[in-house]
Amino acid sequence: MTLEFSARKRLGAFVYEAAFSAGDELVVLFGHSGAGKSVTLAMIAGLLHPDGGRIAVDGKVLFDSAVGVDLQPQVRNTGYVVQDLALFPHMNVADNIAFGMPAGINRRERVRELLEMFRLEGFEGRRPRTLSGGQQQRVALARALAREARILLLDEPFSALDESLRADLRRELLRLKERLGLTIVFVTHDLREAHLLADKLAVFDNGRLLQYGGREEIFRQPAARRVAELTGVTNILRATVERVDDDYATVDATGLQLRCGLPPGSSFAEADHADLAVRAERVILRRSVPAEPGLSNFVEAEIVSEDAYGASHTLQFATLGATRLLIDVEIAARPYEVLGIGQLKRWTLELPPEDIHMMPATDAGPTAP
Amino acid sequence: MTVDRPGRRSIGGISADQPVFAAVAIASAAFAIFFLAPFAGLVYRAAQNRDVWHLLSADVARQALVLSLWTSTLSTVIAITFGTGVAYLLARSSFPGKALVDAIIDLPIVLPPTVAGVALLVAFGRKGLIGQPVDHWFGFTFGFSTLAVIMAQLLVASPFYVRAAKGGFESIDPQMTRVAYTLGASRTRTFLRVVLPQTWPALLAGIVLCWSRAMGELGATLIFAGNLQGRTQTMPLAIIQAFEGTSLGLDGAIALSLILLAVALTVLVLFRVLTRRAITTG
Repeated sequence: MTLEFSARKRLGAFVYEAAFSAGDELVVLFGHSGAGKSVTLAMIAGLLHPDGGRIAVDGKVLFDSAVGVDLQPQVRNTGYVVQDLALFPHMNVADNIAFGMPAGINRRERVRELLEMFRLEGFEGRRPRTLSGGQQQRVALARALAREARILLLDEPFSALDESLRADLRRELLRLKERLGLTIVFVTHDLREAHLLADKLAVFDNGRLLQYGGREEIFRQPAARRVAELTGVTNILRATVERVDDDYATVDATGLQLRCGLPPGSSFAEADHADLAVRAERVILRRSVPAEPGLSNFVEAEIVSEDAYGASHTLQFATLGATRLLIDVEIAARPYEVLGIGQLKRWTLELPPEDIHMMPATDAGPTAP
Repeated sequence: MTVDRPGRRSIGGISADQPVFAAVAIASAAFAIFFLAPFAGLVYRAAQNRDVWHLLSADVARQALVLSLWTSTLSTVIAITFGTGVAYLLARSSFPGKALVDAIIDLPIVLPPTVAGVALLVAFGRKGLIGQPVDHWFGFTFGFSTLAVIMAQLLVASPFYVRAAKGGFESIDPQMTRVAYTLGASRTRTFLRVVLPQTWPALLAGIVLCWSRAMGELGATLIFAGNLQGRTQTMPLAIIQAFEGTSLGLDGAIALSLILLAVALTVLVLFRVLTRRAITTG
């Protein structure tokens, strides 16, 4: 299955615009609530009409403003699952699943197949509200797939469940993707969920698709400061390019000299402004600056605050130079204990050149929190 | 077995509560007596006086009951036919002036029925806004006919149905209809298979309210339809006339009231049984 999507719509002051395409893969639409993720699903499902654009699934045009095509949601053949599931409370599980099945097929046989696929055998006569949260979730998925849907649209389907159940269902979803070869569009505002599930990631903000690409690309090479912020980069430094040679650039980040790897295809020149993104878990703690010559990107800093999250600690450092830059460092619980960070507050931070991502500067102002 | 009460030592607090509790209990009892006394009085008078039972079968009583039953039922059917769609639109769509439409539908609930009667007369009476041209072109008058009875009931009672139905439709998660559409169900099929099965207890409540209100309609009917035995004289009008002594007298009024009481009780019990079934199967 393939999905080609491009649409724009004005909803009062909210302007939506996005374009992306996908194959047999799981596309995660990520962003805060109100960023345009659910709007995208509603447009694919035919529940919301774009002002313009083109939407096609497997080559079949569902919407095209240029030629005036706008298919009804009833004939689009999408499997749409919403956050509160919207199971029909007055029907049993089997009737819920069979609701969307076209006439002429062997309903009983198909329902049996789906019950088996979603491990719901024995529950066919039960009302949805008598099932557990995870079972209800699986009924909703089975119902969405009962029409041999060409594309599965999932709008934060797991957000109401507790964490252990969510992990099970995520695995189930990945299994389903392998088995059925579907295009799945999955909406979430949970960064960890997005990272776990995504083949492709679409980052939305304020109605715009900021960046679309493979998961690693988005996480390692955010296109702009906002994408970096949304995908959990806490260290974003303003910098001016001083020198560019081959694959590296030397920059000045408010008094801090740093050597950074140049992202492929970038065109930074001397005196350009740049935003530097450094993930907190990429920063290395050292007891002192190594004596070997030719090494760069070390800076002395002291801990100003720390948060313990159980499995990991987030430490906020302030550099010791003339301008005190704030740099977050995330470290797992075990190294935290082994290194004795609880006692020792002064460290040398190493920002490896490969882990500093340069982005064209935006006018968002200084990063200091 | 002894139960350890953590609040044992604050006996002062508990005893301070007791007079309040006693006052509420007495007030509730008084209120209950106030509610039961009138109905007890009706039954008591009827039991004492054999004439009452005789009057139950009088022509006036029979005609009024038959008229009341079929006009109320017909106006309720009309309210369902036209009101269901209106209620669904009000619950599910937004359009300019929706708040105004909403308020206008509520108006007859708040307005005294006599005002509704005057308003009907001004609009559909022989000299009315619509009544006059209709009379002029077609030689047809609305007023003082059985049709006028139904119109009065419809105006006063149908808002109760629309209101209840709207509440029922609003309680359905809009996502449910959206999902039904993506599952291939047309609007009609979605309404019949998804919305209606979940809202029918609310619709039934609306039907009962509407029908009861139509059965009890007096003010608007009296003004717009008049009090003509066999044509516009419904039960409440017959009771008024009996009470004024021009037909069956006070005993007649009691007899007619008893009939209405019996009808009301039957409807209430039926409604309870039906909605309970709806809740247990729904």
